[in-house]
Amino acid sequence: MSFFSGLFSDRQQSPAEPSAAGELFNSANFRSTATPSASPAAGPSTQSSNGTVPDANLNAPPTAPAPSALDTFSAAYDPSKLHPLAGLGDNLDFLQLEEDKLTDVHGAQSVLPSRGWTDDLCVGTGTTYLSGLAVGGMWGFREGLARPLGNNASFKLRLNSVLNGCTRRGSFLGNSLGVLAIFYNIANSSMDAFRGKHDALNSMAAGAISGALYKSTAGLRPAMVGAGLMTAAAGGWSYFKTAV
Amino acid sequence: MSHGDHSRDPCPYVILNDFGGAFAMGAIGGGIWHGIKGARNSPRGERFVGSLSAIKARAPVLGGNFGVWGGLFSSFDCAVKGYRQKEDPWNAIISGFLTGGSLALRAGPRSALGSAVGCGILLGVFEGVGVLMNRMFAQPIPPMQIPEQAAAPAPAVAH
Repeated sequence: MSFFSGLFSDRQQSPAEPSAAGELFNSANFRSTATPSASPAAGPSTQSSNGTVPDANLNAPPTAPAPSALDTFSAAYDPSKLHPLAGLGDNLDFLQLEEDKLTDVHGAQSVLPSRGWTDDLCVGTGTTYLSGLAVGGMWGFREGLARPLGNNASFKLRLNSVLNGCTRRGSFLGNSLGVLAIFYNIANSSMDAFRGKHDALNSMAAGAISGALYKSTAGLRPAMVGAGLMTAAAGGWSYFKTAV
Repeated sequence: MSHGDHSRDPCPYVILNDFGGAFAMGAIGGGIWHGIKGARNSPRGERFVGSLSAIKARAPVLGGNFGVWGGLFSSFDCAVKGYRQKEDPWNAIISGFLTGGSLALRAGPRSALGSAVGCGILLGVFEGVGVLMNRMFAQPIPPMQIPEQAAAPAPAVAH
């Protein structure tokens, strides 16, 4: 693992750090400065230990060990040593793992690490939807318990009433809040991307947009009321986030 | 939902993510679907109003159905993973079975069992296709070259 952290992060691993794998690589004696123009005279002396030396092998530059990925672990990283014949210079591109990167919008770091706007959308919507479902379910539970079913109603009838109330109120509140959360998160992420930073003003504006959009079919006045309510809620949430 | 995927959150939090993802997918997809359907089913001149009212009436419900399915599935998936301490296709099949069963619970045990088996088979087909795709497109891992110099008693070269 320490090799990968040395490779993929900017943290430099100190060469003096003792580790079992490091000793293994050091004892293997890799020559990382392998070039094809190594002296051919060194060829037979090392290969004669094997006994059988084909003649064709004498023409090839033999002893330079093929540079492997292990070289990059022991030496400081240099792309030109990856393969001497490939002619790799400094213009080597690496795979950028964009998907695993955490969000880098300034001020958008929160309790749960987020990988971008899709994560924000999913987690925000999921949390809001689930809490709406829970609150609405409790509302429906109380309603179902309190509904008059005539005298000495059976348990089965009461259970049915409670379950009906839960599914009715729970899904109503959950769906409404979930759609509101989708609007809010999309607006918020768009403004984050547009402005390049995230602050309370941003989320309040997103709340205004989402509230107005949610109530837009009911007329101008309800839309304004919805925008105001959502702005207040977003502002309160931002304040709560900074206070925690 | 897929296993061994490190671009996803650890288990209790992934439920929220899946809930929201499924809800958003259902609501946005349902908005498009019912928008077109509502416009087509309205008389001329009222197409926009009909489309809007169809979206308002049906898209959140579709989102809710999707969300409950995805969230229940993810919760069962996490529970099954925690119980079995394994990550394999059986997780998805078992949690699909449980999800289908619990969603149809109010229609009676017989119907719940049928729905559970149906969902389990569906998830089994998904997982089977996934495994097959993995096998087909997986690159064979080349064997690591073991340097021969390691065995030879070469004189130590200063580093």
